[in-house]
Amino acid sequence: MVTGIRPTRGYRAFVVVNAIILTGVVLVTLYPFVNIVARSMSDQAYIISGQVNLLPKGFNLQAYGHVTSDPMFWRNYGNTVFYTIVATGVALVLTTTYAYVLSKKHLKGRTFLVAVAVFTMFFNGGLIPNYILVTNLGLKNSVWAIALPNAISVFNLLVMKAFFESLPAELEEAAAVDGLNTYGVLLRIVLPLSKAIVATMVLFYAVSFWNSWFSAFLYMDRQELFPVTVYLRNLIAGSTGAEMSGAIAESDEAQVDATIKSVTIVLTTLPILTIYPFIQRYFVSGITLGAVKG
Amino acid sequence: MFLRSRRRAVVAATSALAVMLGLVACSGDDSDPTEEISANRAGAMESYKVGDQFKATEPVSFSTLLLNNANYPAKKDWLFWDELKKRTNVTLEQVEVPGSDYNQKRSVLISAGDAPLIIPKTYHPDENAFVSSGAILPVSDYIDLMPNFKDKMEKWSLGPEIDAIRQSDGKYYLLPGLHEKAWQDYSLVVRTDVLQELGLSEPKTWDDVYAMLKAMKAKYPNLYPMTDRYSQPKPTGNLWNILGSSYGAPGGWGFNHAIWDASAGKYVYTAASDNWKEWVTFLNKLVSEKLLDPESFTQTDDQARSKIATDKSFVITGNAQALVNDYRPDLAKNPKAQMKKIPLPIGPAGEVNPSSRLENGVMISTKAKDNKNFVAMMQFIDWLFYSDTGQEFAKLGVEGTTFTKDASGKAQIVDDINVAGLHPKATKHLQKDFGFYNGVFAYGGNPELVQAFFSPEEQEYQKVLNARPRAPWVVPPPAPFTDEEREQATLWETTLRDYVDQQTLRFILGQRPLTDWDAYLGELRSKNMDQYMELQQKAYDRYKKEHG
Repeated sequence: MVTGIRPTRGYRAFVVVNAIILTGVVLVTLYPFVNIVARSMSDQAYIISGQVNLLPKGFNLQAYGHVTSDPMFWRNYGNTVFYTIVATGVALVLTTTYAYVLSKKHLKGRTFLVAVAVFTMFFNGGLIPNYILVTNLGLKNSVWAIALPNAISVFNLLVMKAFFESLPAELEEAAAVDGLNTYGVLLRIVLPLSKAIVATMVLFYAVSFWNSWFSAFLYMDRQELFPVTVYLRNLIAGSTGAEMSGAIAESDEAQVDATIKSVTIVLTTLPILTIYPFIQRYFVSGITLGAVKG
Repeated sequence: MFLRSRRRAVVAATSALAVMLGLVACSGDDSDPTEEISANRAGAMESYKVGDQFKATEPVSFSTLLLNNANYPAKKDWLFWDELKKRTNVTLEQVEVPGSDYNQKRSVLISAGDAPLIIPKTYHPDENAFVSSGAILPVSDYIDLMPNFKDKMEKWSLGPEIDAIRQSDGKYYLLPGLHEKAWQDYSLVVRTDVLQELGLSEPKTWDDVYAMLKAMKAKYPNLYPMTDRYSQPKPTGNLWNILGSSYGAPGGWGFNHAIWDASAGKYVYTAASDNWKEWVTFLNKLVSEKLLDPESFTQTDDQARSKIATDKSFVITGNAQALVNDYRPDLAKNPKAQMKKIPLPIGPAGEVNPSSRLENGVMISTKAKDNKNFVAMMQFIDWLFYSDTGQEFAKLGVEGTTFTKDASGKAQIVDDINVAGLHPKATKHLQKDFGFYNGVFAYGGNPELVQAFFSPEEQEYQKVLNARPRAPWVVPPPAPFTDEEREQATLWETTLRDYVDQQTLRFILGQRPLTDWDAYLGELRSKNMDQYMELQQKAYDRYKKEHG
């Protein structure tokens, strides 16, 4: 922190206004979380009459017991963890290697390779052709149906490419002089210097795979293969998509409690929320500072 | 009925895909149906007629789409599967789809040519989207394999209802669930303790409803006596339907652009009719006299429920399930509160039952025709969905295990099994633990079966409604569009529907004076209403000439 320079009045006013606005943003963002947590511990009647805001009313944890006693919930939860780990791993390897290659200016056909990737940002085959492709490749009902089609996010690829380009070329030249081949340079020099971007990618990919439900919904035909997001969606949206009349309306024993919905939301979002603080520190470190001397 | 419009949107979006993929799924030739199936009789019964128990002559298995309901997710050890196998020699290979997005996955599977052979839980007109691609079977060509279906259709004189789902080629592609009696579930739900307090009797007509709300308002001037729900995504889908039905022009969930005017012998545009104007005027009166909460048309269901729960309103619409699962538990803390679903109030259209007797039904993949077990499959579907024993099995389960019958033949679920809140203390559940009454294989039937789990009060309600004759517009004469016509009609329908809903709401809320009605009709014309009706009339005339 630089001392001795006195902040101007305008700057101080800015700081105050900024703080007020940001606090407002924080409250607005935080409120839904707190509300859902409060609902998950409240009595159903209070939720319906709209009395639950920040604190639980009619405190009880029965709904937690109810949700956690459903074996299918844990089965699907396990699937989510498994799919997220595998898909993030695959995505990370493919994105890193692709981005590294693209960051080399001397690569022949580089423009074409970039164009191939960027093309998919704007055009895609569409739902049904994708489905036919994945089915004919025999990927249905396996983790690969989730991991492979989504393995490279072009946005992430470009971010990573830009990062690699910003690394000083001298480092890699020095490594090459010392006898490392291309893979050695990537694994021993570039990646250790790229923890910040790798951590960011892990976060981006993990969050998106954790939250995704559509590919699993499309390519999985058995509920024991569903991720927990599909379980959650089915619970919350109910059978409304298939119209609530006739036998369904007649046979719906009870609408799923508002409490149970909240509990499932809390249990599903919690793990991915807790990852943030651990990865966040990588965002701030400027690692290449002072790497090149002279 | 819920989210009907969303369903329409999905259908509209997917029909384009289905058409596009016709090439993939189409199998081509139009040879004589009876000839091609003679080779595919493996496992089929030699003679199979009404009253026979279907049993495949060898173990067979059929793939089926299965809607997985979050309240009773499918289990491998359901008695339903085991007993089905024992009785029919059939194993169902399930493709499980979350109920939340069932229609979407169904569209993808059919369009990609990857659909299971049996595709249940399909509501008319969802099948329209798949007809032109040739991916689903024109089942009307094969009903000779289905004695029970034919029998029920004749016995319950369902011919006209089924004619209404025929396509422009005169065939139908959906095997609908069949009810002997129409089942009108939705109506008004009223706080009867407030009625007593005011010395009022239950309203019989919509005029009585107005008088009742007026009296409630006089006693409690600071609140809106009536509020309503089901306003997502379109305003009060249920109220516009039941009120509109009483005036002969259903809106909301029951909205059809063209409605059959029996006296004139032609189709008219529903939202331009005098009947429509009359009920809009009625609702406008309720809103302007502050009898009906203006937020009714935009609020969420939960907001509406909380108003009922906190005594801010006394009247709302709903069905038996909403009464038992929502309103009564919401009001549990108020010991004197009594809620009741009153028989559908009567309007100018007279005492009518505006419900259809067709339920959601089954589509068959065209691939099934070339399956060597095709005949066995049709016999199996006929037994499970349309025979008395099959329907009883799918709904009630196994006699002696899940239900018993008394001397008069009335079925009773055993005490240790709960369903629909009948035995709240029971340890097991008919749907969750046994897989019966699971919404995919069980619907329709005779009134005893349909009402098997109804509470006495609901049975009472149904008795009143069943005594009413069917509304004339429920079974319109067939007027199916061709593919090209449907494409054009859908474009017009989308703009018209939005405009109708928007302007109707403005009239009701008083944002637009009813004296503007003629201007409104002109605006509908500028949005191609007349061309739409011409197209409809053309389709009607053509069908009459070709298939009369």
